[in-house]
Amino acid sequence: MPEHEHDHDNGHAHDHGGAHAHPGVGSSDYVPGYFEILERSITELLVERKLIGPDEIRRQIEVLDSRTPALGAKVVARAWVDAGFRKRLLANGRAACEELGITFYDDTGLIVLENTDTVHNLVVCTLCSCYPRPVLGLPPDWYKLKPYRARAVSEPRAVLAEFGTIIPDDVEVRVSDSTAQVRYLVLPKRPPGTENLTEEQLAAIVTRDAMIGVIPVEIRPDHRQAK
Amino acid sequence: MSTSAVVAAEGEIPIFSSGDRVRVCVRYPVGHFRVPNYIRGKRGIVERVIEPAALNNEEEGYGRNAGSRRHYYRIAIAMNELWSSYAGPSQDSLRIEVFETWLERI
Amino acid sequence: MAGKEQLLTHLPTEFGGLEAGPIQRVEHELEPWEKRCHALADVLDFHKIINTEEKRRGVEALGAEMVGKLTYYERWIVAFTNILFEKGILTPDQVARKVEDVTARLKATPPA
Repeated sequence: MPEHEHDHDNGHAHDHGGAHAHPGVGSSDYVPGYFEILERSITELLVERKLIGPDEIRRQIEVLDSRTPALGAKVVARAWVDAGFRKRLLANGRAACEELGITFYDDTGLIVLENTDTVHNLVVCTLCSCYPRPVLGLPPDWYKLKPYRARAVSEPRAVLAEFGTIIPDDVEVRVSDSTAQVRYLVLPKRPPGTENLTEEQLAAIVTRDAMIGVIPVEIRPDHRQAK
Repeated sequence: MSTSAVVAAEGEIPIFSSGDRVRVCVRYPVGHFRVPNYIRGKRGIVERVIEPAALNNEEEGYGRNAGSRRHYYRIAIAMNELWSSYAGPSQDSLRIEVFETWLERI
Repeated sequence: MAGKEQLLTHLPTEFGGLEAGPIQRVEHELEPWEKRCHALADVLDFHKIINTEEKRRGVEALGAEMVGKLTYYERWIVAFTNILFEKGILTPDQVARKVEDVTARLKATPPA
């Protein structure tokens, strides 16, 4: 099958509308690129026609800005310390997140994938860039580019190794490819030596990449001292 | 009153259940699809039925926002079923959601 | 000529199982227009003016060259424009005139 060479999907995220080659947005010399002008034009036309309200986009930016990996980390830390919550989380990911005030502003569902001694989970979207945005925020470029999306489903262990993650042969690597309404959040294994950390301290060591499944959660040196 | 007289509407009751052995159909839609080529014709097991029933996303891609709904299923497919030269351990696997009309029982 | 059907049966955005190089752990902070574009997508979906699946289909329909050369959010805004034309919500002339208007305005008063 002929392979399509996609300049902007090969792993090179270098062209961002010229903002790196030109003065930044705040500068009086800033020149908006063609696509920004198109974006502003489409929005103005839709607002003029009252198809969208004048404040909706600004409001949605606030929604998006409030969604960061810190939310997912809160969910993970709570699941680590509260067995009842963990059970509810694994039964219905979205409902459990909503318990913590994490609203889902779209129709997606959430399945939380628990890493165990026998299963290591990894999440990808081979068709586009589906990602649990309500609870993790926006995905990193590498998640949306060809190398990850092509190889995570065919050579997951090699992909994990590129992130420095080696999974033993007796542990199943299980890759979830999001293609429909459900989104995925990995519940990483709680690292040993964290028994005396508070829930807040636990949340602080849970990274976005651990919740995608490419790396484990590790204790960083400054967190080894329990309170 | 007996409930045996209840007749469900088309698509209300999932055709497949957790544990069913299924194969992803082989066909080639023109236009939009959400069943990747790499799983077509592959055999797997239903891990779970996704609830509630939902729109066919191929049709949704052309603007259908309401109408008849069917179920999606989270299917488990072994890596060595997907790739004849898979180098990793035999228990490595994929999970993927597939719409009911793309599955057949085996 | 054999193989032309693959242009239809395989989407330019479909990558599962293809050969690809090493993962480069690039990420970038979204530019303001990209964030507005993302918010626009969400708002269009809330109203079902353009639902999320239509957006995906619209990006696929750009074809391999545009998919390859446009960045992520550039693909989105072009897809939205095309779909809005298809649905008769906007016309090419309206958009062209507005683009002229916005361009002139931004030259006169650069955005803060």
